[in-house]
Amino acid sequence: MIRRRWAGYLFLLPYLTLFGAFLLGPLIYGLVLSFMQYDMLSPEPAKFIGMENYSEALGDAYFWKSLRATTLFVVMSVPITIPLALLLAVAVEAVNGKRQMFYRIAIFAPSVVSVSVVSLIWRWFYNKEFGLLNALLAPLGVEPIGWLNTPLTAMTGIVVMTLWWTIGGPMLVLLAGLKQIPAQYYEAAAIDGAVGWRAFARITLPLLRPALLFSLVMNLIGAFQVFGQPFILTGGGPELGTRVAMQYIYQTAFQFYRLGYGAAMSWLLFLVIAVFAAFQFRMMRER
Amino acid sequence: MGRDERSISRRDFARTAAAAALAVVGCERRSTQAVHLRFWNGFTGPDGRTMLRIIKQFNQQHENIQVTMQRMDWGTYYNKLFVAGLGNRAPDVFVLHSDQIDRFYRAGLMTPIDAMLTDGRVPMDDLDPNVLAKTSRAGKHYALPLDVHPLGMFYNRRLFADAGIAKAPQTQKEFVEALHRLKRAGDGGVAQWGFVLGWFRVIMYSIMSQYGGRIFDDATGALTLDSPACREAMSFMAGLIVEQKLVPEIENLAGMIGFRQGRVAMVWEGIFMLPELRRQTDLEFGAAPLVIVGNQPAVWAGTHNLCIRNGLDDRQTRAAMTFLKFLSDHSLDWADGGQIPVRRSLRQTERFAAMTAQAAFATQIPYVTYMPSTPFTVEYQVEFDLACDRVLRGSATPQEALADATTNIQRVMTRYEHWNTGSAP
Repeated sequence: MIRRRWAGYLFLLPYLTLFGAFLLGPLIYGLVLSFMQYDMLSPEPAKFIGMENYSEALGDAYFWKSLRATTLFVVMSVPITIPLALLLAVAVEAVNGKRQMFYRIAIFAPSVVSVSVVSLIWRWFYNKEFGLLNALLAPLGVEPIGWLNTPLTAMTGIVVMTLWWTIGGPMLVLLAGLKQIPAQYYEAAAIDGAVGWRAFARITLPLLRPALLFSLVMNLIGAFQVFGQPFILTGGGPELGTRVAMQYIYQTAFQFYRLGYGAAMSWLLFLVIAVFAAFQFRMMRER
Repeated sequence: MGRDERSISRRDFARTAAAAALAVVGCERRSTQAVHLRFWNGFTGPDGRTMLRIIKQFNQQHENIQVTMQRMDWGTYYNKLFVAGLGNRAPDVFVLHSDQIDRFYRAGLMTPIDAMLTDGRVPMDDLDPNVLAKTSRAGKHYALPLDVHPLGMFYNRRLFADAGIAKAPQTQKEFVEALHRLKRAGDGGVAQWGFVLGWFRVIMYSIMSQYGGRIFDDATGALTLDSPACREAMSFMAGLIVEQKLVPEIENLAGMIGFRQGRVAMVWEGIFMLPELRRQTDLEFGAAPLVIVGNQPAVWAGTHNLCIRNGLDDRQTRAAMTFLKFLSDHSLDWADGGQIPVRRSLRQTERFAAMTAQAAFATQIPYVTYMPSTPFTVEYQVEFDLACDRVLRGSATPQEALADATTNIQRVMTRYEHWNTGSAP
């Protein structure tokens, strides 16, 4: 028995090593850092300062501003992403054979492109004076819109681009979930007279719950950690209106070289994410 | 397979093995003799290929020194370099922009290169003094400037001709007049603009300097951003955008996109944009010094400085200096890709005169100005950008924006104060 148990760990070893070295280790290191004053440019060694970094963060107007920008992104993107992914999954599932493969690939394809490429293309696309989007809208009599020139339209631009870029992931997960539902259920329901919307509401949605929960939680966590899209598309502008928490943390730690303070802020962001994720699990588990 | 063939292949095998053994021994002997230098920079564009060619040439001509180059994006370069330096894994030779020198110097990561300036390997009087001065700390030079890349003006010759403008504007009056003549209405908007802002940080810094404004006092280092000169400079540009609508709203990249589409007549860009413009063969563009809108000439510039890591032994340092001299001597090859050499003797050659855009931008070298180099460069630049952003969008007056920026930068400076008074490395 004991030998068998050790064999199990042996198989886990490669994963555990990587997990320890690249996730657990840095995580603990980051937690320790968050209680230290560790400014890389300072000739003074790092020193323990208790909760000072945390209290600085709570009084830092820029940190709150960046949290607001992040929250705005989450609130704007998550409630659209999951229903849209579900809609696409159902639509794709309704298509048969090779054509389904085509749509699956077409919707998933943008996810393969790196965030910098996507953002650069979209930055040209959104440009007020010389961009494609306004050029397409001009014949309809729409005055040129400065998409990236006010905080709200810029965030909208980031959300739309993110949808185009990442919708394929949750769509595939939900599609896989749809395929798991046995056809007999629908056949039985049809005999009882439940088709169309009723079948969807009574059979599809409840059985899709695990896949939906997974997509929702992953999407929420991903949305809170948004970084690359605003970083390249708007650089955090205009007037720091789209500088999200992750960008501010990155700047603090790796451009201002205040590692301790950056670590403290990222633990605060972690807390926010954890609370939201736990809340969601609750909501979806009940009933 | 016949017997003969097999014996031949056996013989061949023996020969190959012997040759391989010799090669290994040879390599080994060579590698113990040759100094190997690691060279890091952020030349990821066409400039990287130019640099690679120069390095290949260097390696061929110097049997006892071998240089390998590693390129990474400027966006992440300084982080990696700095962290590598603190971890004692810095490359032997690396490139720093002038506004980055201070923090690397303070962290004790650089070696003075005065030896090669005083013994004439690179004659000191051949280098522009205002460019070289930026590498100096506590009476020593910590880097060899390779180039200057100032801002300047690119203009569309055809649009100028259509508007009846004979020569590139050089004064505020000529500039504003040109803006009026070049702006053309189109359906539902503006079809053609005279000027569009690009990288507004360096454009605004140039204009402020032209009015005599400084972010920090040259002598004392005190924060002087909130001054009448800076306010006047900001008001001028905000007036063109917000009030007169002669220049469109600021938007990243907009200038270059519009210029390449032939819908913008003038952009103020770095000389390093030249390769990108050259690729577009249907664009007839000219180059001129930046318009002087204030009361004195000034233009932002950057410089790639060649630096040697601290802690090399004598032999490695000599090799590194040989490499630095080679790059400096070959900086005309480098200039071809959109740079200006810091060596005056090279700028006086016919070859340089034939690089018309570089030569036009080079006339500004006596009055170029760099962004201040401090340990908190990125932090003050974020605030500087924010102030410009707010004013140029019309959401704050220059007074308000500069006062807020002053408060925020002052807070950062207070945090750094005890280090400045403490023992600098």
